[in-house]
Amino acid sequence: MAPALVLLAGMLLYPIIYTVWVSLSDFDLSTFQPSGWVGWKNYEAVLADPGFLQSLKVTGVYLVVALPLQMVLGFGLAFLLNVEWRGRGLLRALFLIPMVVAPVVAGGVWRMLLDPLWGVVNYALGLVGVGPVEWIGDPTLAMVSLILIDTWRWTPFVVLIASAGIMALPSDVYEAARSDGANRWQTLRHVTVPLLVPVVAAAFVVRWLGAVKMFDIALAATKGGPGQATDVVNLYIYEKGFRGLEFGSASSMATVVLLITMIITYFLFRISRRLENRW
Amino acid sequence: MVSTGRLGRAAAICGAILATLVFLFPVIYMVGISFKVPRDIFTVPPRWFSELTFDNYTSYFNQARILPRMLNTVIVAGGAAIISMVAGSMAGYALSRMRMRGAGVVAGLILASRAVPPIALVVPMFLVARRLGLTDQYITVILAYVTFLVPYVVWLMRAFFRSLPPELEEAAMIDGCNRFGAFFRIIVPCSLPGLVSTLIYCIILAWEELLFALILTNDKAVTIPVAIAGIAADTEHGGLWGPLSAVGVLTVLPVVVFALAVQKYLVKGLADGATKG
Amino acid sequence: MRRFLRLGAVVTAFGLTLAGCGSSTTEAPADGGGLGTAESPVSIRVIANDAFAKQWQDQLVPEFAKKHPNIKVTVDGVPYNDQLAKSMLELTSPTATYDVILGDDPWFPQLAKTGGLVDLKTDLAKFTDAGYAWDDFNPSPLAAGQWDGHQYGVPVRSNLLLMFYNRELYKKAKVAEPTSETTWEQYFADAPKLVQDTDGDGKPDAWAVGTYFTKDPLTPTIWQTVLNSNGGRLLDDDLKVSFDDDAGVKALQTQIDLLKYAPPGASTYQFNEPLEAFRQGKVATMFMWGSVYKGTAIDKATTTLSEDQVGITTLPAGSAGPGAHRGIWSAGVAKKSAHQAAAWTFLQWVTSKEGEQWVGANLGTFPARDSTLQGTPPAPWLKPVYEAITKGYEAISKGQMWRPRLPESDAVQQILALQTSRAMSGQAPAKDAVHQAAVDISALLKSKGYAQ
Repeated sequence: MAPALVLLAGMLLYPIIYTVWVSLSDFDLSTFQPSGWVGWKNYEAVLADPGFLQSLKVTGVYLVVALPLQMVLGFGLAFLLNVEWRGRGLLRALFLIPMVVAPVVAGGVWRMLLDPLWGVVNYALGLVGVGPVEWIGDPTLAMVSLILIDTWRWTPFVVLIASAGIMALPSDVYEAARSDGANRWQTLRHVTVPLLVPVVAAAFVVRWLGAVKMFDIALAATKGGPGQATDVVNLYIYEKGFRGLEFGSASSMATVVLLITMIITYFLFRISRRLENRW
Repeated sequence: MVSTGRLGRAAAICGAILATLVFLFPVIYMVGISFKVPRDIFTVPPRWFSELTFDNYTSYFNQARILPRMLNTVIVAGGAAIISMVAGSMAGYALSRMRMRGAGVVAGLILASRAVPPIALVVPMFLVARRLGLTDQYITVILAYVTFLVPYVVWLMRAFFRSLPPELEEAAMIDGCNRFGAFFRIIVPCSLPGLVSTLIYCIILAWEELLFALILTNDKAVTIPVAIAGIAADTEHGGLWGPLSAVGVLTVLPVVVFALAVQKYLVKGLADGATKG
Repeated sequence: MRRFLRLGAVVTAFGLTLAGCGSSTTEAPADGGGLGTAESPVSIRVIANDAFAKQWQDQLVPEFAKKHPNIKVTVDGVPYNDQLAKSMLELTSPTATYDVILGDDPWFPQLAKTGGLVDLKTDLAKFTDAGYAWDDFNPSPLAAGQWDGHQYGVPVRSNLLLMFYNRELYKKAKVAEPTSETTWEQYFADAPKLVQDTDGDGKPDAWAVGTYFTKDPLTPTIWQTVLNSNGGRLLDDDLKVSFDDDAGVKALQTQIDLLKYAPPGASTYQFNEPLEAFRQGKVATMFMWGSVYKGTAIDKATTTLSEDQVGITTLPAGSAGPGAHRGIWSAGVAKKSAHQAAAWTFLQWVTSKEGEQWVGANLGTFPARDSTLQGTPPAPWLKPVYEAITKGYEAISKGQMWRPRLPESDAVQQILALQTSRAMSGQAPAKDAVHQAAVDISALLKSKGYAQ
């Protein structure tokens, strides 16, 4: 345990302290260092910034829809992929690909697929008399598209972890269940699910932290638009910091996001701990 | 595991193939683009090919220095994944077994460190690396990646270890092993599927990371995602979707090959029966 | 746990010391590091955009090496989206990794404000070749490297927004081809006719226009150009917001109205999409960076159009004249560079009359010098392009058609991008979007100490 802590402490504490420090000071672009102490000024500005608040809201909507969708889909597919046959290994390996495609390329390919003029999706919809649909141009559908792309990209992660979890299930328990005369549903309910809870919880928490930080796909696919329809909070911070060079307010936003995420993560822990103990 | 009828089995296999195809459709489309001449990429209605070309693979191969950057990516992703796996799985084990006070808090802190927006980390990391004269070096990028991989490893491995019964290593320790010995001889082999899955995940995350690679490298240690971002943001020529898809395909291949190679460890059985004896 | 905390404290203290301790900056040597000799050549490093870094390294650098074999040049490419932040980080370093810094049009005030660049005209006068003709530069591109009365950059890759048109689609629609005199009124009168059904199946399959419509800092440059060509400006001479009026709303509304005559899905158009639509013969006009001309009219691999099908001119005229928008890559020399003389020698060669000819002929880059623009183009197809560029430069100088010349330029452009996107997608009327942009920009500038 010690090596992990040393690594993390060494690499993370300074950056975090630096960020908090920048968030409380005036950022001097000519030295790229924080200069004067300004107290809570940046925070006041950030919390009064409608763009930032809007991006938090957008992130919330995205998380609430995308995460459960990916978890359910992922575990479902993992069960499908668990059936033993010769092509299973190949399918599992192929299933990793969406995660590996660089976000810029993935975003671009999806933009092409969804384009109303030359996109394959709208072409197919056109054959059955629907469309053309403005997948990315319409504010609501842009969010749908973003969630769709993100789900395509990250469900394979859930599949990967869930498959390992399912495989690690000891078969003697099932034999015992069968000899007790349990039917398939009862086995699932009373054996599989309880044994999988730690893995489900871990996969969810890891996915949650990954999803909070998501901005590359949004940048590549929708640019956070139209307007702020898909402007997730990390994209908003990225653009403020890296494009607008507003490092003071970007740092304040980062600190606020860090706090919110830590609080929610804490509650997720509590819930997952309770679930683990219940079974 | 759950016994399924012959019909159910066939249906499940069909379902699995179908689901894979659905998920792979954008990838197949990407592979298609990578063999298209530019004028075939955007057409109404969509068409496959008027002619096949390999130009997308050859023209940018040198331009974007794909080969050296691929090598850099392998070194960085491999290095980061291995360090993270070693450090992270040991910590995960400790957290899953030791009934020490504050273990939950430590586990929480480790994981919550992932909540820091990457933009907030990258600038100070760059400043420190610059002060130490370590920019544009593998070790800098590797260490940066380790910080975001370790928490995931700790958390995932903790879950996998928890699903192993404690009697396993207790038996080994009675036989004279110490904790370390028990960990490496009993626990690691028994949780291979979890370890391999987590390793694959680590490699993928490090493989496609852009922001840190971009800021911490200049030339020698530049990775593939940086090269891809460069091609994608080319506002001088435009219409680079062919080469971009080709590079996309090239970057996917090594990971798929790797995943296929480690598939055999992704099998059930090692944990089976271990508790019986 | 306690050990962990103690360790953390140590590491943190170490980190703080590292970052906080006095930054000893190196001073550039008085002789500018010399130009190197055969025994001890000097090496310089260039930070450039990925789009042309490799081209420079493989073609431009060897050509330069023929003249100056003792100066070794390395060109590193950075993806566009992160190049500004990366350059800022490098420029503020106590020691210079890079000797030559390339920057896009709106970046120079920000790069210069770090104090990391030298004034090429004064600071480096002692290393300037007697034959280097500063006066020959067209004032419009040269201004992209100026800020606060100093010349921090020279134009190395010039570019500007122009109007491309498809002659065949104009002929089919029986509409007269646009010229630099065509007004926006005339353009909109013709636009409905340019949405046409070319294959007779009863459905439109060619549209009037393709350009930037998505949420992107470059999208507002279209209506900024309209505003400028009507004599309006984003910020006045005192850097106060001056577009929150009918002229601003009218300009933004012009771009929104263009969407009516654009292909389905055009609201997501960034750079690639309108370009492809034009190259596929789907749109009659395109407002786009001139640098795409070769790939649009000449290179058979990338376009379905031929040279005689593609026309190029300035954007439609407003009340004050035709429109264009400046997009010049300039290059500067780092103040902390140990090889300023060599770095500046490299840039002088690239931007000299001779260098510009070579670059134009071999890399297809647009010139910034009047002598190049008025001389014989290196390829015959460049003739109409050079004419359009000349007219464009004129319009740019006259209407100040560029993004704000402030260190906060990109932050301003971000605000405009967001509000433009809201208006474009119908989330807000043009009037509200313009007003909100004005309020936000005003607040931003005020927070940076500008009088508003």
